[in-house]
Amino acid sequence: MIFSEPVFRPGGDRFIEMELGDEMSFDLNFRVHSVSRLIREQGPAGIVEIVPELTSIMISYDFERIAYADVVTEVTAVFHAVGPLDGLELDSRIFYLPIRYFDPWTRECWDDYCAKIAPKERDPELVARLNGLADLAQLARVHSGTDYWVAALGFYPGLVSLMPLDPRCRLTAPKYDPPRTWTYKGTIGIGGALCSIYPDRTPGGYQMIARTPVPIWDPAQRLAAFAESLALFRPGDRVRFIPASADEYDHVAAQVEAGTYLHNVAEYQRFSISNYHRWLGTIDEAVRF
Amino acid sequence: MLEVIKPGLETTVQDWPGRIGYWEQGFPFSGPMDDWSFRLANLLVGNAQGTAGLECQFTGPTLRFGRDAVVAVTGADMQPTLDNAPAPLWESFAVRAGQTLAFRFARLGARAYLAIAGGIDTSPVLGSRATFHQAGIGGLDGHALRAGQSLPLGDGAGTPSRRVREECRPPLTAERVWQMEAVPGPNDDWIDEAGHRMFLESEWTVQTRSNRTGFRLSGPAWSFAEKATNKRSEHGEDPSNILDHGYPVGAVNLCGQTPIILVNDGPSTGGFINPYTVPSAAFWKLAQSKPGDVYRFRAVSVDEAQDQRRAINRLIAETSIETI
Repeated sequence: MIFSEPVFRPGGDRFIEMELGDEMSFDLNFRVHSVSRLIREQGPAGIVEIVPELTSIMISYDFERIAYADVVTEVTAVFHAVGPLDGLELDSRIFYLPIRYFDPWTRECWDDYCAKIAPKERDPELVARLNGLADLAQLARVHSGTDYWVAALGFYPGLVSLMPLDPRCRLTAPKYDPPRTWTYKGTIGIGGALCSIYPDRTPGGYQMIARTPVPIWDPAQRLAAFAESLALFRPGDRVRFIPASADEYDHVAAQVEAGTYLHNVAEYQRFSISNYHRWLGTIDEAVRF
Repeated sequence: MLEVIKPGLETTVQDWPGRIGYWEQGFPFSGPMDDWSFRLANLLVGNAQGTAGLECQFTGPTLRFGRDAVVAVTGADMQPTLDNAPAPLWESFAVRAGQTLAFRFARLGARAYLAIAGGIDTSPVLGSRATFHQAGIGGLDGHALRAGQSLPLGDGAGTPSRRVREECRPPLTAERVWQMEAVPGPNDDWIDEAGHRMFLESEWTVQTRSNRTGFRLSGPAWSFAEKATNKRSEHGEDPSNILDHGYPVGAVNLCGQTPIILVNDGPSTGGFINPYTVPSAAFWKLAQSKPGDVYRFRAVSVDEAQDQRRAINRLIAETSIETI
C-alpha cells in the first residue's frame, strides 16, 4: 500500500520515522527520494539528517531548534508539495560496473561456509532454479539485462540496495540462514527482491553470483571518484552491470590496484517516471531474456 | 605527542557530536557513548565540550606524555595513576613531559574518558575525529589505539585543580541493576499488549557480545501483533522482519527474539523492527554498564525524554565546576 498521508512515529527523543507506504514498489521508492530531496532543499531548520529507505524516511532533528509536532507539520507540507508522480524527474547518474559472473572468489566463500557452518546448494544454481531459469548463462543474461535503481544506502558505509528497473529481470532469493561470517569485498548478491554490492569484507546473507573489482567505497579516497565522498553512490543513481571475462576483470583490478582506475559514469542522466511508466506499458513482463 | 605504551582493551579517539552529515551513506555518528562524562572532561581542561579525547572501555591504556599538559579523567573508575601515584577523577591535573598516566580495569562503570587541554589533533575524516573502527575510519588510523603509536596533541593551556561538583556527575553506583528509559516506537504497533507488558516488566541481561555497535539483551520471549504475523511477503518471514528501513540510534532492534540496543556505531538501516528507542539521556547508563548487568525498562514519552536530555545538557556548564 502507498499511503495518501504520511505516518510519523517517534524514535526516542531525536528521531522520527516517516512512513510513506508498506510495500516493495519502485513508485513508492521514487516518491521517498522525491520527498527527501525537497526536505533537503526546503525542509525546516533543525532537521539534522535524513535517511531515505525503501518505503520510509528516518529523520534526525535537534529538539532545541524544532519541536516534534513542528517537524511533522512542516514535513507533511513538503510531502504534499511534491505532488503527483507523473511529471517528476530526478537526477540519476548511470554507473557501468564490470562484473565477473560465477567467479572463483564467491565460490571459495561458499565452500568455506559449507565446510565451517552448514552445507547448502551453490548460490548461482539456487538462484537459477528458484527463478525458473534454464541455466547459469541465462542467469547472467537476466541479471545483466537491466538498469538497477539505487533504492537505499546504509547498514554499512556505501552498501547499496538495488532494484531492477526492468520487470523481466526480477530475481528473488532467500538469505543465508545462518548468515555468513565473511564475504569478499565487491561480491554481488541477491537477497529477497534486492541486489547488493558488498563495499568491504563483511558478514552477509545475500546469495553470491558475481564479483566486481571496482570499489564502491574507499576510506582512503585513492581513486578520483572518491575525491568528494567516501561512498560512490547516491540514492536515485542507477547501476548497469557489464559481464567481464577473467582477463577484463584482472585488467580493471590492476588499474584499481595502481590507483589509476576511472569509474565509468554517465553524469548527464535524468530519470523521468512518466517515461518509465510509458515504457513499462510496452513490454511483456512475463518474458525473460 | 602522547605515546601509547599499552593500548587498553579498546581505547578510541572520539569527538562530540561525532560524524554528522553522512548518515545517509551509512556512516554512524560514532562519538563518546557517555557524552555527559566526556563533555565535562573537556570543560575541566578548558576545551570546547566536543573536543577530541579518548574513550577507554573496560580496561584503560598506559600513556606517556611527550609534553606538559593539563588533563582530566571522568566516567568509569579505572584507578588511574600518574607515575604510579593515584590520579584524581573528575578533576583537572597537570602532567609533566615524560610522565606516564596508567589506567587499570574499571572497578566502577565501564567507560572512562580522558580529555587533554588542546585536544587530540588527529586528522578529521568527513568532519570528525571520531573513530568508527568497524569500517576503519577516523581516529589515528581508523582503529582503536595500538601499542607504540603516537597521538598528536593540539595546543592548549588548561587549569589544574578544577573539579566537577558531585551532584553534577552521572550518578554511578556499584548497583548492577539499571533503570533504563525507553520511548515506545517507531514500531510499537508490531508488538501486542502482552508483549509490551512482558518487555516493561522483565529483567534484561546484557550479553557478552555487546560493544559500540549494539548491546545484546537476554530475556523472555516476545509476542507480536497481527501486523507482524500477517503481512506482505516482502517484509520477510519472521514476525520481527520488516522491509528495510532506517534505524534510530538507541533503537531496541528486535532480531528474531533477541533485542539489540543499537548505539553510537550501529547500522543506519536494516530489516528488523524497533518497538522501542532508548533516548539520549539514558546513553550514559548504557555506556557505564557491563556484560551481566540487568536492565529494567520504563516507558517514557518523547517530551519526558527531551526534558531529561535538557536536564543533562544544563549540567554541562561552567557552573558545574568548582575550584579546589
